[in-house]
Amino acid sequence: MNASTTWQRLPERLRPREREVRGRGDLRRVESTLLVLALILLAIATVNDVVLQTHTNGRLTADLRTWRAVTGHNYHNISVEQDLKGHTTRDVACGNIAPGAPGALPQVCFVLTGPVVHGRRAANGGFHLPPFTADKRPNRYGCFGSAVQQRLCPP
Amino acid sequence: MLAGACALVMLAATLEIVLDGALGHSSLIPKSPTIAGWLQGVGERLGFRIFLIALLAFSGAYAGLLLLLARSPLKGMLEQRRAMRWAIALIAVLQLVVFVGPILLSTDVFSYIAYARMGVLHGINPYLNGPISIKGDAVYKYVGSDWRHTATAYGPLYTLLSYPLALLGFVGSLWAMKLVALLASFATLALTWRCARQRELSPVPALLALGANPLYVIYGLGGAHNDLIMTAFMMGAVTLTFAGRDAPAAAAVVLGALIKATTAALLPFMVLARRNTATIVGALLALVLVALASLPAFGLHGLDVVAALNRDAALVSTDSFATEIAHLFGKPGVFPIDHDLLKLALLAIVVHLAWRTWRGYDWVAASGWTLLAISVTSTWLLAWYTLWSLPLAVVTRDRRLLWATLAIQALFIAHQTAPLFSPVS
Repeated sequence: MNASTTWQRLPERLRPREREVRGRGDLRRVESTLLVLALILLAIATVNDVVLQTHTNGRLTADLRTWRAVTGHNYHNISVEQDLKGHTTRDVACGNIAPGAPGALPQVCFVLTGPVVHGRRAANGGFHLPPFTADKRPNRYGCFGSAVQQRLCPP
Repeated sequence: MLAGACALVMLAATLEIVLDGALGHSSLIPKSPTIAGWLQGVGERLGFRIFLIALLAFSGAYAGLLLLLARSPLKGMLEQRRAMRWAIALIAVLQLVVFVGPILLSTDVFSYIAYARMGVLHGINPYLNGPISIKGDAVYKYVGSDWRHTATAYGPLYTLLSYPLALLGFVGSLWAMKLVALLASFATLALTWRCARQRELSPVPALLALGANPLYVIYGLGGAHNDLIMTAFMMGAVTLTFAGRDAPAAAAVVLGALIKATTAALLPFMVLARRNTATIVGALLALVLVALASLPAFGLHGLDVVAALNRDAALVSTDSFATEIAHLFGKPGVFPIDHDLLKLALLAIVVHLAWRTWRGYDWVAASGWTLLAISVTSTWLLAWYTLWSLPLAVVTRDRRLLWATLAIQALFIAHQTAPLFSPVS
């Protein structure tokens, strides 16, 4: 028994076809509509993401400017950490207290909050970090400003 | 005239990226041995702004060229021939410019070399260990930091094919990888041209839509990605099917899947459309042959690639549409439940396409839709994943696939443009 005879046993609507039968095009219309809707959703999501990224980039630039303005050091290598856990716009910007390789000297960090005003953000507090250490609470010392009330440094 | 202007813009954009890239490491150019030193001195170090402007210009010119071809189809043999020569010249120049330049936008090629050197020079199985196991090797420092502990997720056939290249030394193997990518690209294009003719489609638009695609040229070829080898096998399979040679066609799909697993997406549709034993026998023979060849090299650990693929499926990139949609709905990112929902959506699409193929829909188009759906539903999306469906899209009569693929690519490029609006300095 060859393959085509095998399929002949199936009801017509289940049988395989060599070519699609030209119908009224309802299925094609449904598929095209779903496709267009999916593309619209993806386009909206893409634009939304670009806007979000642009805002984030604007905020990070303001963070860097603020750190440079407060310290008076025009350093290039300043690290900015975002609040990825709490999803707030509170960032921490850290940089060396004196010229040197990134992170090779004690660092001063500022907690930056609020909106971008004249290209800068509010730095109401911060802390210090020893050389070559990550910004983890046990490593911090010398908290100042709002960082003291927020208990960002260990006792 | 207009087509010539589009071609010039594409060439200028490619030259800008390559000449700036030749200056060495930047946020877009991975650390690499100096292989394009002779191109230095003309450009500036490649930054996001220049790169994005060049990419957008290239994409705009590419879209313009395709629209011109769609609006005024080529008439007559002479015009077809002239256009064909012109298209081949443009594609060849674009791809050769990228070939002589530095590695662009990805460290993957260093992972390929690391896995080959692990197997050949250090006797270490790349399916069991990551490049960290050859920390003292020259290639190690160039491997992307995210992949240093990761065993290979590429198929055993690819790993076997890459082994001889390790004998050429580090820089030699880097050039060899670039050459293999270029030759694979040319093979893909030649097969695409053949498929288009077999289907009585105009080969010029098909060739240009693929070979002059900005993501294909800059990301695919620029990064010397093995996806180009995969697409060559894929188009080989399609050509063989059109010639009625089902067993070798199925074998080519399996060989492609043993380069990069994604190609396996073609097999169910091919089986459903052809409905003969030759297809299944061809697929099984290829599988057995590669299994026998790879057994001495990797033992049974070649099968570990399946676990590696599962691991990679859980990865999340910021460029994936899944992440973008999560952000749209106020979520910080993709959660495990989202992975399950995406897999369900992909399954529904594949079942629908399988049913349609059974009832006579073009299996090549169904395979293309599946590859597109895989890239869109993947939480780990990279530019070259959006290329998978393109060669199939240009040789199918369902033009929706081509427009959908190009739309997805356009969205991918649009998503890269944030630094253009607000650069961090």
